[in-house]
Amino acid sequence: MKCPHNIVNLMHDFLDGDIGPHDEKILREHLQQCSACADHFNGLEKTVAFIQHASHLTPPSDFTARVMAQLPKERKMIRVRR
Amino acid sequence: MKKRIKAVKKGDQNAYADIVDLYKDKIYRLCYRMLGNRHEAEDAAQEAFIRAYVNIHTYNPNMRFSSWLYRIAANLAIDKIRKKKPDAYLDEEISGTDGLTMYSQLSSSEASPEETLESLELQETVQKAIEQLPEKYRSVIVLKYIEGLSLQEISEILDLPLGTVKTRLHRGREALRKHLGHL
Repeated sequence: MKCPHNIVNLMHDFLDGDIGPHDEKILREHLQQCSACADHFNGLEKTVAFIQHASHLTPPSDFTARVMAQLPKERKMIRVRR
Repeated sequence: MKKRIKAVKKGDQNAYADIVDLYKDKIYRLCYRMLGNRHEAEDAAQEAFIRAYVNIHTYNPNMRFSSWLYRIAANLAIDKIRKKKPDAYLDEEISGTDGLTMYSQLSSSEASPEETLESLELQETVQKAIEQLPEKYRSVIVLKYIEGLSLQEISEILDLPLGTVKTRLHRGREALRKHLGHL
């Protein structure tokens, strides 16, 4: 199977949601015929799904208080500005 | 938000506390995914908010405030990555009990122990793969897939042309595929 030279770029354009109908057709038809490229594409889609579903941590509950405690003092800021 | 920023510029720290509360999750998440370590992520996120406060007068209202914050935090995280020794860094979080505590906080109460373990392993694998990315790909991948931003926003945040953002995203995805695509 001879793969179009830009087929990997088309995969990425597709993943970016930035592919024209003509290129999308080329990509879809090729993926149906070529198992190596289909594997490559599946791998990319899986990768994206894994990254997107990475759990989200939240900062500790005293985060804001700790930031506020480290800010330069209020009065000083105002004095500098005046 | 405009009102709050105005208040902060006048020195109102309470208004700033509201801003920190609004954005802390996003900024912390960005730092965590960039740095791969809770403690460093906390430090970096706090530092980002302090920098933003001190430099609030340089904020240009034509830019989204969140983009401006992301920019400060991403630059800070990139600096920290560059200062780290790559070898000291890789196995830091992986086997320690610290990591276990961290991941146990993530697990949802419904999951069975087996499922939890499986997803913990997957979480670790995903985070390790992200950490192995060169920092210029890492920031683009994290902003796109962890923060869910558009390519246009990422280009603004990192001050890069759209084409460069795309190229880095493509290369980042290819590099990650080598670690994650076969799972």
